[in-house]
Amino acid sequence: MIATMQDHWYPVALASKLTRSGRDTLLLAQPIHVRAEASGAPVVTCDGRVLPVLVKFGHVWTSLGTPAGDVFDIPEAHQPGRRLVEVGSVKVRCSPLRAVENFLDIAHFPFVHTDVLGSEPHTEVERYEVEIRDDVNEVWATKVKFFQPQAARSAQGGITTEYMYRVPNPTCSVLYKTCPPRPGEWDVITIFVQPLTETTCEVWPWMALYDDDSTMTQMIHFQQLIFLQDRSILENQLPALLPLDPGQEIPTRADMLSIAYRRWLKRHGYTFGAQLVAA
Amino acid sequence: MSSIWIPVALSQDILSGMAIPAHLPGHDLVVWRSASGRIAAWHDRCPHRGMRLSHGFVRGDFLSCIYHGWRYGENGHCSKIPAHPDLVPPAAIKVPRFDVREKSSVVWVAPTGQAGEPVDYRGFTGFRSLSVNAPADLIARAVEGEERLAGCSVVLLVQALQGRGCNLHVLAAEGYDTAQLDGLSLAIEVLRRRLEQAVAT
Ligand code: FES
Ligand SMILES: [Fe+2]
Repeated sequence: MIATMQDHWYPVALASKLTRSGRDTLLLAQPIHVRAEASGAPVVTCDGRVLPVLVKFGHVWTSLGTPAGDVFDIPEAHQPGRRLVEVGSVKVRCSPLRAVENFLDIAHFPFVHTDVLGSEPHTEVERYEVEIRDDVNEVWATKVKFFQPQAARSAQGGITTEYMYRVPNPTCSVLYKTCPPRPGEWDVITIFVQPLTETTCEVWPWMALYDDDSTMTQMIHFQQLIFLQDRSILENQLPALLPLDPGQEIPTRADMLSIAYRRWLKRHGYTFGAQLVAA
Repeated sequence: MSSIWIPVALSQDILSGMAIPAHLPGHDLVVWRSASGRIAAWHDRCPHRGMRLSHGFVRGDFLSCIYHGWRYGENGHCSKIPAHPDLVPPAAIKVPRFDVREKSSVVWVAPTGQAGEPVDYRGFTGFRSLSVNAPADLIARAVEGEERLAGCSVVLLVQALQGRGCNLHVLAAEGYDTAQLDGLSLAIEVLRRRLEQAVAT
């Protein structure tokens, strides 16, 4: 049985920052309260009801429904020697699904992250591979290559970076990216999106990197800068909801991953934050 | 004044190479001027992924979307998709346009293909645009017949904005000196305050 959106896990706090008084927030338009018990264990409630909770990748996760299993795993993130970077959250006035789709998009690097993740004239997106892996119910893109002037804080000069993208949950994505100081390994960069309403979300980026040179603060700032550039896009797309039916927007070959993501959302009825009929 | 032409800005406020947002009831527009000085008014939405084109950038005679750099030329046709440099974009990819005219240094916009031209206020030129936090119909009534401000002959054009009050475009007769225009500027501020207070009470 395929879980509905209600039955998925969503990030609602950083475990390390959670206080006894906690915080009021929203999940799928429902008011929830997240706090730490005296023991430090997180508790999430919705209208007096205690919700399922667990801590993974530094975040507190919860669900309004009945999750079938644990939060998806990222085996690479457990490898020794990685720095785990808790970025915190950024509130964005956009559909949670648009936030994920933007994370899956490569073609915007030269224009939105100019001279950092991309630069003209290196704008071409070569063909890459996309598949919906039915056995694990995930969307994957592999063999994605792009020229980047400064791929990470630790990168010196421009390189062609290779990526893999993975969507294991309707509002979470994992990016695997060539790791400049450690050829053969992948840096892991994620966004975990907390759907507040259909048109607002809180984005929790998290990273597991091989980088022995940068300070934690520098790595957090790098990711925050990138994300603030994305936010200026996300808050200015029309319509606010992600259109799942063709007709309103014009994708090209570079958008194969976003096409697959939209198809997967529609197939499973993951439509909180989506627009189904072209307006 | 039942013209379909709507004043959306003053020419002087859209320099070559600039793109700005503008509003008609029910439509968001991008108004932009090419390097060679040509003005255009389009839907403020890129057909690719819906980004507002008013956030885009002008290069030469093209407006590019800030998200993925799709480039649009005269008539709103897409002429370049940077992710696919060798691809000739299909003709179907285009941004819907509005008709646009510049008269008395006012930028006028109307749905495409309508007959008629905007009013030409000969001998007047655009002086200042300001937003007024009050409904357009009330303001239009309040300024009707107002032809002189601080001793200057003026034309006052009211542009309705959806849920956002209105814009007042002030045209002044040509030939005033700096001191007279400074006086006019002050008088406009006073007028705005008077209009907003009249509505608030
Ligand atoms: S949204 Fe405009 S180029 Fe992609
Ligand atoms: Fe981005």
